[in-house]
Amino acid sequence: MPQFSLYEEEFHPSPWQRTWAAFRSSHIAMVGLIMLGCFVIFALFAPIITPYDAVEQNIDGLLIPPSWTSNGEISHLFGTDALGRDLFTRIIYGCRITLGTAFITVVLAMLVGVSLGAFAGMLRGVRSSIANHLLDALMAIPTLLIAIIIVAILGAGLVNSMWAITLALIPQFVHHTRSFVRAEMKKDYIVASRLDGASRWQLFIHSILPNMIETLVVQGTLALSIAVIDISALGFLSLGAQSPLPELGAILADGLDAAYLAPWNVAVPGTVVFLMVLSINIVGDGLRSALRKRVSH
Amino acid sequence: MYIGIVKRVIVALFTALLVVSCGKQNKEAFYNTGIIYCSESNPVTFNPQLDTSSTTSDATSHQIYDRLLDFDPDSGRIVPSLASSWLVSNDGLTYAFQLRKDVKFHKTHYFTPTRNFNADDVVFSINRWRLPSHPFHSVSGGRYPYFESLGLAQNIAAVRRVNGYRVEITLRRRDSSFLANLATDFAVILSKEYASALFDAGNPSKIDNLPIGTGPFKFESYRKDRFIKYLRHKDYWRNDELAAQDNNNMPASKEFDDESNEEAQAFNAASKQGDNAHDELLGVEQLIFDITPRSSLRLAKLMTGECDATAFPAQTELEVIRTRNDLTLAEKPGLNIGFWAFNTQRPPFDNPDVRRALASAIDKNTLLEAVYFDSATRAKTLLPAASWAFQNDADDTAYNPVLARQLLANAGVKEGFSMTIWAMPVERAYNPNATKMAELIQRYLRDIGVEATIVSYDWATFRRHLQDGLHDSVLIGWSADNGDPDNFYRPLLSCGAIPSGTNRAMWCDEDYDRLLNEALQTEDIDERTAIYHQVNRLLYERLPLVPIAHAYRYQAYREELNGVVINPFGGVRFGGVEKTL
Amino acid sequence: MIQILTRYCTLLTITLLVLAVMSFSLAYLFPGDTLENLTGLVPQNDVQREALERQFKLDSSVVVQFFYYLGNLLVGDWGYSFTSGLPLAEEVSIAMPATIELATYAMLMALFVGVPLGYYAGIRSYSTTDHLLNGASMTTYSFPVFWLALLLILVFSLQFDAAPLSGRISLLYDVPRVTGFILVDVLLSDLENKSLAFKDALSHIALPTLAIGAITTASMIRITRRSVIDVKHKAYIAAAVSRGLSSWQIFTRHVLRNALLPILPLMAIQITTLITNAMIVETLFSWPGIGNWLIQAIYQRDYPALRIGMMAVSTLVITLTILVDLFNRLIDPSREKYEHAAV
Repeated sequence: MPQFSLYEEEFHPSPWQRTWAAFRSSHIAMVGLIMLGCFVIFALFAPIITPYDAVEQNIDGLLIPPSWTSNGEISHLFGTDALGRDLFTRIIYGCRITLGTAFITVVLAMLVGVSLGAFAGMLRGVRSSIANHLLDALMAIPTLLIAIIIVAILGAGLVNSMWAITLALIPQFVHHTRSFVRAEMKKDYIVASRLDGASRWQLFIHSILPNMIETLVVQGTLALSIAVIDISALGFLSLGAQSPLPELGAILADGLDAAYLAPWNVAVPGTVVFLMVLSINIVGDGLRSALRKRVSH
Repeated sequence: MYIGIVKRVIVALFTALLVVSCGKQNKEAFYNTGIIYCSESNPVTFNPQLDTSSTTSDATSHQIYDRLLDFDPDSGRIVPSLASSWLVSNDGLTYAFQLRKDVKFHKTHYFTPTRNFNADDVVFSINRWRLPSHPFHSVSGGRYPYFESLGLAQNIAAVRRVNGYRVEITLRRRDSSFLANLATDFAVILSKEYASALFDAGNPSKIDNLPIGTGPFKFESYRKDRFIKYLRHKDYWRNDELAAQDNNNMPASKEFDDESNEEAQAFNAASKQGDNAHDELLGVEQLIFDITPRSSLRLAKLMTGECDATAFPAQTELEVIRTRNDLTLAEKPGLNIGFWAFNTQRPPFDNPDVRRALASAIDKNTLLEAVYFDSATRAKTLLPAASWAFQNDADDTAYNPVLARQLLANAGVKEGFSMTIWAMPVERAYNPNATKMAELIQRYLRDIGVEATIVSYDWATFRRHLQDGLHDSVLIGWSADNGDPDNFYRPLLSCGAIPSGTNRAMWCDEDYDRLLNEALQTEDIDERTAIYHQVNRLLYERLPLVPIAHAYRYQAYREELNGVVINPFGGVRFGGVEKTL
Repeated sequence: MIQILTRYCTLLTITLLVLAVMSFSLAYLFPGDTLENLTGLVPQNDVQREALERQFKLDSSVVVQFFYYLGNLLVGDWGYSFTSGLPLAEEVSIAMPATIELATYAMLMALFVGVPLGYYAGIRSYSTTDHLLNGASMTTYSFPVFWLALLLILVFSLQFDAAPLSGRISLLYDVPRVTGFILVDVLLSDLENKSLAFKDALSHIALPTLAIGAITTASMIRITRRSVIDVKHKAYIAAAVSRGLSSWQIFTRHVLRNALLPILPLMAIQITTLITNAMIVETLFSWPGIGNWLIQAIYQRDYPALRIGMMAVSTLVITLTILVDLFNRLIDPSREKYEHAAV
């Protein structure tokens, strides 16, 4: 006769589910996640959401204030800039460009960095020591400097600034992966696999990488916030995105000239970048705490 | 417990740091000894004879040097400066100048004068640009663009020193604008003694980098892209004049009759002291040009008090300046013209129909609104209303894109034709934002099937390339150097002005030059005006350039400055300007 | 000990050599004429060009050229700038101390304000104060530095007229350059109104330092707090509590030093971020430092300046990083364990 029990089944959540549960328990982290989700939606669906074209100039409507002031109109939610372009549209496209570019940069840096780091981590002896120290030293070159050099060689532009930031983010991933791999290599389960005859490649893919993914995600969010700040900084300095491309830093730089007459041109893009980075940081922090809670219990 | 104390100490330190560094700025007397002027760019040289850019003139002409004659800023009349009087012969060909005595040159750390200003200096200053054989002619490049564009060197037959304080200049043809040209920013008087000393030492080009003049300020130091430092010239010849002016302007000082209480005594003592100090200090000890290319930064510095006056406030900032109590905005209708010039030596811009098409494609009123924000008037001809030869009923192009397309098609210009619009990177009174105007024109041209690309460089490179004729069209302009209409027509469009680089349209037309020369033959205002009306008609038919706007001239400065005068005929002048709390 | 020192010296030398190679190769990579990029001099005619080429060994192989270049670098002949025509060594020696001064004050602020606050937050972890501090530091840390600087200018300079927004000192003062550090130079000079000048310089340095320092302080607070919390969970702290030590004794004897150690390697990364932020903030405040100079150089495509500037800044940062690393290695007996301390 089939037995049914009145008691709840034992529920063994997978590590991911446990992390998610720990993450959900923090309210602030959830708020951050929702904010980040909003930005991602803006980035993905920008052409559908926005009412105007991002570069279309409207001569008759220069420097219209945002809709919540007395002189504003609802048709221009955030007002217009000095050339008559709708600020709301530009900000939404700006989210897309800034966040999208930052995301691509981080993914690229992660791929290259993890491969290099794994390779360096599995080296032995003097070679590894030299490579390690050199990498550490080169990690120290400031992002802005790399960006300036690349702009000088290749010219200014969004794509070139992307290369610069990717180059600057790679050392972090290399360093982290290398130390992780080196630490793991000493652990018993790796030794067991090697005794079983696994090659280095198999070791990495099947044993080390799955353990690394969580910390990698956390590193990724840290790198994402750095990338967003760096991309907007380069856009602000006109070394990255060039006007009229609506990147958030470039929009800020454009608005600087009319800053006293139309302060919303400066306030809104800056606040958006701030909120974007804040949400990424909150989510990253939440993930880190969740991971810690999961590991410690 | 302990941590609490540590926390408190940290907070206290932090607050102390903030308090020390905060606090209202600059209310000490020391800050009244210097004026800081925010300028927009580097001067190319320290001798305005060599360059026509207003940055160079602003920085040097009225600060370091004097001229034989000056313009009165209010009436526009020619008044004596280094020449105390002058006589013109009946045939209009000989000008005799009586020079002022007791005018002292600057004494600096690189030169000490041993004699006063005299006729030798005048002869040297004029012959330097007039005679190619003069030993200083080719020093620092050998180009004197203003004089070259007027052809003055050809017109002057002789410059003669009659005695120590009298000079005679003989012309070949009558030129009723000659005196006006001697009063411009460019006709400065250099020191022959200094030139000779430099020549003997083998460093002749220093005359333009380490300048010596007779003006109210002497050169101290220059750091490119940072600042220019000037010190007061204590023996400036105008000091007595300025003292008399100031005493008239100052309010009568009160004196307490009842000296019984300490307050009254102190007040009397202080006011006496103030009078003495005032006699000694006419103007300030230092004048500093703080070079700040961005106009929003100039405005910010003006608002915080880090600059006392600023160059070229942008149109968007004028409202802000007007509403603030501690800033003054002085406004005068300007003697300037902003225009769009075509390179008429390059096909298809050598075809007047193509030029007319492009001119009809743009709506000037929109440009006026968007770029000048209503601080300019629409320009139909080169001359603004402030000039006596202004023509109110002149012909003007209208916004007519249909006509534009037709003309282009007739001229054989295909759809998608591409051209460049060169936009100057700096602000000028006649065009505060050339890039924005270029973007707007780009849109209009796209509507008639012309693709325009906007080109710009840093200012010095930009002007160099323009001189080489690398442009298709350019957005630029001209600020008058004197009140004479010839000063607009000749440097901008005459044949002689092409090599000097002021003729941006690279246009050379015999009829035009002929009419201009005719106008100079007569002193009669009405006759001249009639001829200039003919010139306007000719320009309307051939359209080498499209006049866009005459802008107002603005000077923004803090209320602490006294004695600032807008000079519509030349560069900014700080001699005699004072600062009070 | 000697072993470690020699090891780090070799590392430093090799890294600097790599930098020199990069700086040299940039002369070829930058657009424009290689000779001009290398020297900063523009030959007027062919005769001059040939003479310069011979002087800089451009007719020999690349290796010879590089060694000649290296020799010049060590001697101090760094070429000339395109835009100003001044020797680059002079320009860098004027600009570099300005940035170092700014970075130093910001770092001091981060150390003396951030670290104690981080300790406080760590000790009182998960309490209200800690949450407030953590939140505040997270918010400050998320500000883009140029936005923070802009806000400071708008609020403190323009609204409250409390501090100036450009330059190091009012142009009316003529302070002779001795060390390059404006506060020190004012004190060393013999101006009549020294205290006035000092106050003026202090007010000029306040806002930029605040902008950079705020972000670095926020980072420091977070790092220190994390380190203190990690230490608090260690077994020996539990043992100390069970032995009956008071919280103050635990703090001074165990937590203080043990929490400090993991911070040091992370400081090296902070220095890099600090210099980047300083370079950006310099442009907003017209601070005449190396960041402002480099950014003007890239706008005007001044290639010799870019090469030498890159070399100078990288050398500074890498030297500092290696020094911090060395210091860390020297004072921490158990280096291996902290190799991968997480934030």
